[in-house]
Amino acid sequence: MRILLVEDDAALAESTSRALRSQGWVVDCTARGEPVPLSLREDRYDLLILDIGLAGIDGFETLRRVRSQGSPIPVLVLTARDGVEDRVRGLESGADDYLVKPFALSELIARARALVRRSQARFSNELKMAGLRMDLDARRAWLHEEPLALSAREWEVLSFMMARIGKVIAKEQIVSASNGWDQSTTDNAVEVCISRLRAKLEPAGIQVRTVRGFGYLLEEQVPVAKA
Amino acid sequence: MKQPLSLKQRLFWWLLLPLVLTVPVGSLALYSLVRDTTLGWLDQGLGDTALALSNFIRTHDGELIVEISGQTDGALRFDRVDHIYYTVIAPQGQLLSGDALLAKPHFQLSPGEWEFRDVELDGETLRLAALGVACGVVGNVCQVRVAETTTKRATLRRDLLLAVGATMVALSVGLVIAGWLAIQQGLRPLGELSREVERRDLDRLDPLEPPVPAEVRPLIAALNRLFERLRFASGAQQDFLANAAHQLRTPLTALRTEIELALLEPHEDTQEPLLQRLKSSVDRSARLAQQMLSMARSDASSPQEALRVLDLRELASHAAEDWVPRALAAGMDLGFELESAPVMARSFLLREMLENLIHNSVSYAGEGARITVRTRVREGHALLEVEDTGPGIAVVDRERALQRFQRGSQAGGNGSGLGLAIARDIAISHGGTLTLADGAHGQGLRVQLVLPLAKA
Repeated sequence: MRILLVEDDAALAESTSRALRSQGWVVDCTARGEPVPLSLREDRYDLLILDIGLAGIDGFETLRRVRSQGSPIPVLVLTARDGVEDRVRGLESGADDYLVKPFALSELIARARALVRRSQARFSNELKMAGLRMDLDARRAWLHEEPLALSAREWEVLSFMMARIGKVIAKEQIVSASNGWDQSTTDNAVEVCISRLRAKLEPAGIQVRTVRGFGYLLEEQVPVAKA
Repeated sequence: MKQPLSLKQRLFWWLLLPLVLTVPVGSLALYSLVRDTTLGWLDQGLGDTALALSNFIRTHDGELIVEISGQTDGALRFDRVDHIYYTVIAPQGQLLSGDALLAKPHFQLSPGEWEFRDVELDGETLRLAALGVACGVVGNVCQVRVAETTTKRATLRRDLLLAVGATMVALSVGLVIAGWLAIQQGLRPLGELSREVERRDLDRLDPLEPPVPAEVRPLIAALNRLFERLRFASGAQQDFLANAAHQLRTPLTALRTEIELALLEPHEDTQEPLLQRLKSSVDRSARLAQQMLSMARSDASSPQEALRVLDLRELASHAAEDWVPRALAAGMDLGFELESAPVMARSFLLREMLENLIHNSVSYAGEGARITVRTRVREGHALLEVEDTGPGIAVVDRERALQRFQRGSQAGGNGSGLGLAIARDIAISHGGTLTLADGAHGQGLRVQLVLPLAKA
């Protein structure tokens, strides 16, 4: 996996790229936003990590230029600002996720991983996580290359959650995404479905965490010390 | 120092002064004019009688005679109010006809000459009109004198004095009242203006736009320029604060990342606690910078975003995204019991407050703890609760925990001691309350925010 990191604080750029490299990823670093669109055209990157507060053109402008040349690369924005407006502006300019400094290394890595996974799924129509692989066209899944039997309902829920790896998913989101479910039995149906999925996925190192009173979180053990 | 006169007093005294000067002078002038005119007419009446009388002087055989019948005498003396006296005096002074009384004052008149005077005769005050009449031999002058008592004149003077006096008093009172009302009315825009200025603070520095008279507009313009400068200065201070807090974040992030890397890479066991302490210090510094920023923003005097309707449930859902992974990483169970609870709020501040509360629980409750975020409507109020199963805060320490830069006596963790204080400031600035209580089953801490419910 190849990452372009745009960060103008030398110390932070240094430590962040070391951390990303520790995951076995290739990291290129630049301190300014101007050359970013060209770099993205010339080389194939899987992820752009972009600081907003840059010298020269800022992160928002860089992002705008990247998007205006049609690049679909997933973008994780880093910012020292926490205003809601900044968050909204960042997401509106085409950022895929947003991390406010100071962040924990584990959070950066988890989000970077989730972003890349989601974008790869968009292009290959294949969702992958730990030992699980889902082919969205064929509607088939494999666990450690063994075919995994999923009911239609389980398939719907799992593919919805796989597209949102690392994000907390509200139960209502799952319900509204799965059209055709009987409204009166929905909550219960989701719970039953999740518990079946949980049993099937556990062996592959994938955890379906329950967020009490809220929803679920699909997680994979990140090989990094806890923050 | 003597207090300068108020604008109202000034206007009032300057209106009163001309009144005090002109009313007496005017009254006197009016009185004299009317009196002299009316008395003149009465004198003319006397003169008419004298002229009529002069027609009775005749010469008979070289003798001057005045023949007046009883009827004529009655007609000449007729008056409903006063007594009328008359007399005709020959050139040599002898009485030709009428009352001897009137012949007493001695004076000479040429023919056609009039004389009017007040005389005192036999204890009676009389108004006397005398006319010189040529009679008999050429060069001889008779005098016709007519007089009347002064009852009419005295009554006239008295009535006139009363009428003019009453009119002037009424006029003065009317003018004073009208003046006072005019001042009140005229100065009302100033009163409204000062109330409007009174309502301004750093929170509300929009230009004044009251409908004011032209004279006050320069003042308004000056005030608005002042507001503009004040807003600019306050904004600059705010920006500085925000920038300072934000600028700290990048180096702190670099520091934190370095420490985390050091923890990941092979290191001596003895360095582990040191690195962990370093990491929590960095976290505390970052948190402190953030909290000082939000404290400054939650201060009532700082410029703030506008109040908007906000559902506490939405707020808590957003917090879930960021905090569930963090709580899981810290080995805690962060759960939610969310019901819709709309409030009027500044979303930045409420979000900051909720983050502070969750952060507090994550920091202090300890591994294995359950943290529950709850929103609901109870008894017409919106409630937001963050409850944990951690060690809680002893009752005696609770008030102290809500003060700035205080922490519970047994508290560890990486709070900076501002979180709860900020949360309370934010609660108060939204017209709500923040209280600390025991968690469920008397264990842990429950922080409860009560806010007024937004009107649907």
